[in-house]
Amino acid sequence: MLRFENVCFGYRGEDVMADVSFEMVEGEFTALMGENGAGKSTLCRLGNGLLKPMSGRVMVGGHNTKHVKTSSLAALVGFLFQNPDRQLCSGTVRGEIMLGLENTGFDKATRLKRCDMMLEMFGLDGTRDPFGLSRGERQKVALASVLAPKPGLLILDEPTTGLDYRECVTIMDIISRLNEEGTTILMVSHDMEVVGDFAKRALVLSGGHIVGDGPVREIMRDRAVMESSSLLPAQIPSLAMRIGDLGAAFGSAFTIDDMVAAVERSRDCSGMRRAAAS
Amino acid sequence: MISIKNLEFRYGDSEDPALRDITLDVESGDFLGIIGPSGAGKSTLTYAMSGVIPHHYKGDFYGSVEIGGLDTVQSSPEAIARHVGSVFQDVEGQLLASVVEDEILFGLENFGIPREEIEERIEYALSSSGISDLRCRTIASLSGGQKQKVAIASITALRPEVIVLDEPTGELDPQSSRRVFETLRELNHTYGVTVVIVEQKIMMLCEFARRMAVMEAGRIILEGPVREVLSHGERLEEAGVNIPRVAALSRRLREAGLYRGNTPIDLAEAETMMREVAADAAF
Amino acid sequence: MRGFLDYVSGDSVPHRLNPMTKLALAFVLCAACFMTKDHMLVGGVIVCNLCLAAMAGVFDRSARVFLSLLKLAFILFVMQVFFVRQGNVLLTLPKGFYITDEGISFSLLFAMRMIAAAMPLTLMLSITRMSDLSNALVKFLHIPYKYTFVLTTAIRFIPLFSDEMIGIMEAQTARGVEFDTRSFIKKVRLLLPLCVPLLISSVRRIETGAISAELRGFNLRTRDSGYKTYGFGAIDAAAFVFCALLIYAALTV
Repeated sequence: MLRFENVCFGYRGEDVMADVSFEMVEGEFTALMGENGAGKSTLCRLGNGLLKPMSGRVMVGGHNTKHVKTSSLAALVGFLFQNPDRQLCSGTVRGEIMLGLENTGFDKATRLKRCDMMLEMFGLDGTRDPFGLSRGERQKVALASVLAPKPGLLILDEPTTGLDYRECVTIMDIISRLNEEGTTILMVSHDMEVVGDFAKRALVLSGGHIVGDGPVREIMRDRAVMESSSLLPAQIPSLAMRIGDLGAAFGSAFTIDDMVAAVERSRDCSGMRRAAAS
Repeated sequence: MISIKNLEFRYGDSEDPALRDITLDVESGDFLGIIGPSGAGKSTLTYAMSGVIPHHYKGDFYGSVEIGGLDTVQSSPEAIARHVGSVFQDVEGQLLASVVEDEILFGLENFGIPREEIEERIEYALSSSGISDLRCRTIASLSGGQKQKVAIASITALRPEVIVLDEPTGELDPQSSRRVFETLRELNHTYGVTVVIVEQKIMMLCEFARRMAVMEAGRIILEGPVREVLSHGERLEEAGVNIPRVAALSRRLREAGLYRGNTPIDLAEAETMMREVAADAAF
Repeated sequence: MRGFLDYVSGDSVPHRLNPMTKLALAFVLCAACFMTKDHMLVGGVIVCNLCLAAMAGVFDRSARVFLSLLKLAFILFVMQVFFVRQGNVLLTLPKGFYITDEGISFSLLFAMRMIAAAMPLTLMLSITRMSDLSNALVKFLHIPYKYTFVLTTAIRFIPLFSDEMIGIMEAQTARGVEFDTRSFIKKVRLLLPLCVPLLISSVRRIETGAISAELRGFNLRTRDSGYKTYGFGAIDAAAFVFCALLIYAALTV
């Protein structure tokens, strides 16, 4: 779906991305992590063709981004920016979603159908003025208009920043549902709890290099990788690493459920031991 | 320091009140975090503390807000500003100069701080925010976190007793957010400045705040020491407020009858809890 | 062209000039170009601009400004040169167009003036802090602080606006709006609806700025509020002598 081959990129002689290679297959949910200035935004922009690599290749669904216009990649790659207000420019929510469709060459009937589908899926009122909505709702409108052309790959640049908890959960639920239906997802996020809950794979960037690539559960427990990019793992895995001496079940717990299960198992075991002893 | 009694406020162009029956006391030297879903009235509450309402935004104002004995309705915004400094979420918007030093000078000049005191005040503001090395830098060349510290320094230079911040870390990454909070803690501990901060990042509040107020639909629904507020997990969830995972874990363990102690608010406390629980279970 | 109005800190001779001297110097450099009809003198002003920029350590930026102005000047030159009918015909073109020696001379002067007059302003803003400029205007010219504040804020907003606009265009390209088209007219047509998001984000930003200024005592400010003092020294005197000489030259040559 998305493949970086020895990609290099820089602004004004400064390297931002040095020899980056990785591949994402269809249906993946990958989190992109790293400090500010590590090159996350650059990587995202290379992924949808807003930036073209200086050397190496970026392939999106079989197209080399160097040979395709960025605007025509939009049907293939949905890109949600951190600030939805930069994207919204229509007087109504419906108009906003239709705008996303107009530029991608569907026929009128299909466009209307897809627009209605989006309104229903997101629970939005098509007649509202997007600028009168709350930040979380505006984020939803922006996401709906990006998703309307049904892109196979979705790139999200900090989709939950600035949202309250409930809005965050709503947006993430929609994104994870899309992923279950087969959309490939690349998400930049600073929120380790969100990454831990939703992403399957993690890419860690530091100084323009990929310093970690693997399942989220393993990457979060990899002290060397996390420390080198000054990231803190989510709370439960952090706790698990502190209490590894209590037993493997405690040490490897990743969720609250794992932790509770570990306690219950240890209680049952001791119960059985006591029963055997008596 | 701040005493709010039965405050109700409705913006001039809106039907429903943004704040309903708010009663809140903030003591001198406190570090209060305010949390709640968007639209709950958090920003309006900070406006009430800094006199932005009813002076800048007009509307129906009932009840009273007193800052260090000063009634905000009867005092001018400038008189209130001598006691309370405000920092906003939009980092770029609130900075008015092009060089760090000038940003800090702006308020000092306006309030007519005596000439001989100014240099000392600039140094105090810069060093208390940990940005002495940025004094002559242009603001355009700073990172988001550095800009927010400049905004804080431009306020602390005026030596207010209280500093009120409205989601100052909303657009910052975790490391920069933490540094902003460390700056606030330094101001609070070393210089005795009272801090009131609206913040969505609950983990930051757990680590840095002393007390916490939870807002929902214009009201304060919970208020007290952080640990006490966090023990109301169910109520918080209902209001749409996230709780740290370790607090959620303690709630689950308690429900399963495995734990009876205090709600942990950080990793060290959670470790103690787990060791206790594991020992009980293995017994 | 990004950032060509931003202040560049430094301690060079041009930096140390009194803000009023810098303003006067910039004004005289502009005015001299329009007083004289001599190509050499206008060329001299351009060179003078570049020299001052080199002294202040912002030569790279001035050179970039110069090059972009050169492109614009060339277009102006071409547009002008066909419309001057006086003088000896040097070249006759189809459809009744011709080029005269006076036409070339006049158009060249016109284009050079444009370059020479635009450069001092960007140079002055590069080496003067906004606050110094506004304080000096209040102190010496007795302009109310409110007006100088609006002026300096407007200049400060230019880079913020252009950043915002770049961000908006990026977001629109990413959703399939053809901003990467080569057609200029098409690009402008696509840009118009984007004024809405730009306007909304700007209004929000200005609102925050207004509250922030009010709470930091903006309304209490008087002419004597400025902390810094701006003295005139030997270099200022030298600059004024230079200004007088330049005006004399412009009027007599």
